[in-house]
Amino acid sequence: MSNQEEILAELREAVVEYEEDDCAEAAQRALDEGVDPMIAVMEGLAAGMEEVGVLFDTNEYFVPEVLMCADALYKGLDILRPHITLEGDAPKASVVIGSIQGDVHDIGKNLVKMMFDVAGWDVYDLGRDVPLESFVEKQLDVNSDVLAMSAMMTTTMMGMKKVIAMVKEKNPECLIMLGGAPVTRDVANLFGADGYAESAGNAVSEGIKMIGRLREFQKGDIK
Amino acid sequence: MSELTGKERVQKLFKKEPLDTMPCFSGQGAVVVQAIEKMGTQFAKIHTDARLMAESAITSARLFNMDAVVIPYDMAAVAEAMGRGISLYENADGVIYPTVPNKWKTLDEIDIPEDYMKKGRLPMIDEAFKIIKEEAPDLGVGAWVLGPFTLAGQIMELDILLKGLKKNKEATADFLDQVTQVTVDMVKHYQELDVDFISVRDMGSGTDLLSPRMWKTLVGPNLTKVFDAITCVPSVNHICGSTDMIIEMMHGCGADALSVDQKNNVVETREKLGNDVLLFGNFDPYNTLTQLEDVKEVEAVIKKCVDDGLDAVWPGCDIWPEIKAENMETYVKTVKEYGKKASPAVGRI
Repeated sequence: MSNQEEILAELREAVVEYEEDDCAEAAQRALDEGVDPMIAVMEGLAAGMEEVGVLFDTNEYFVPEVLMCADALYKGLDILRPHITLEGDAPKASVVIGSIQGDVHDIGKNLVKMMFDVAGWDVYDLGRDVPLESFVEKQLDVNSDVLAMSAMMTTTMMGMKKVIAMVKEKNPECLIMLGGAPVTRDVANLFGADGYAESAGNAVSEGIKMIGRLREFQKGDIK
Repeated sequence: MSELTGKERVQKLFKKEPLDTMPCFSGQGAVVVQAIEKMGTQFAKIHTDARLMAESAITSARLFNMDAVVIPYDMAAVAEAMGRGISLYENADGVIYPTVPNKWKTLDEIDIPEDYMKKGRLPMIDEAFKIIKEEAPDLGVGAWVLGPFTLAGQIMELDILLKGLKKNKEATADFLDQVTQVTVDMVKHYQELDVDFISVRDMGSGTDLLSPRMWKTLVGPNLTKVFDAITCVPSVNHICGSTDMIIEMMHGCGADALSVDQKNNVVETREKLGNDVLLFGNFDPYNTLTQLEDVKEVEAVIKKCVDDGLDAVWPGCDIWPEIKAENMETYVKTVKEYGKKASPAVGRI
């Protein structure tokens, strides 16, 4: 196994085993040994998270484990990300993300946010219990490529419909993603959204699949 | 023989005594906008005023011929009484349930006041129970509390709690013990108010979040303590989300009835538990009551619940208040007509 492959394997393992310190050490080693930081992120951290997704889908890991894996991933990402450079003058893709007003849950939102962070997007995290108009104002202000909203409960998801209508009216190019326990594909379609993730749990699988989709966008493609 | 009142029907159901038909009621929130409009008030106001809370519960039940009422409507009351605050969204458009804005962020910060039962809206909710019992003696009255794990997630940040289950096991288990005692105190209190049933909703503890193993060690034993404390009122163990892997353990906690949502495979659950267990559920209230365009589809959903072997057709979660009136009418009508045949655990007169 080459040095680079060894380091990537360490990064993957540190994420899967939710070992924060090991992940930070492996990330530093990647920089010290000249591994391309983007490769370290995508083939190390993100690949580790994909393994976590499989463990989650097969009921080996549950949400507590996934949250700890995410913590480990961020330890590595914090070290690697400042060293990633953009290709040419290409603008970075951006996302405005938050949990909708009335919803104080943000586990699913944070897992999806992690995937945007991994992909190197500019992430404008509005937090949770976000008033509807704040989503619209921020999206129009930064002209983000994606607006991602989550609602953990049925009782809060109706607000999403209003935000989508307001944003789509002024900025039809913005892609809108919905997530949260009560959000089904039918609801997403009905509300006029472009994508959805069903629950905090599914946000793991969905977020991992999103990496592939994000690459397709080619916007802010990171070297 | 004269027709049973809603209260009698609910009481007999829990005793597994023969009924005229299946009662139609819920252990989850069942307030609807039609009642709120009729009263000329707003959703944001019915959570803080005993009369409005009681009246909206009674009016919702009367409008749609439900057999029982259940209050309160939101899950923030106990956390608020512990000083965690309350967001009521009085100026927001439409229906938004109250939430807890200031959860504790670490285990070290947690300081549950001894007199929380006298704080926040808890005394007001007691008053609402009193009004309902006086003004609607023919209706069953249900109280509900959060199960210990879900209550813990209401008073401290859920992600810290979930990670604590793995990273900081002992301290987290101690905290869950403390919260279990709160739930025990709450159910004992509602028992003293002489309600007709108490539903314990540990809705955040399904296997969407936790492993069955974690449920067995950290959720089940605490729920057992809560059900052990409910000695003279029927009790319901409700968990929404994925419950197939834990349904037998749920049964082992000692409640008089189990309630599950649409993710549960009720036919299999019935096979696992046998016909003597009271089993409630399991339709998707949002889709069934607010989305379906044809009442025939609503009828089919409700009939399937009866045919699958449920003893009462309960929504899997709160009824979303903005229901279509015709869908709600069909839900109740179908339960009462199609429910004339005996259910697995309860015969008919």
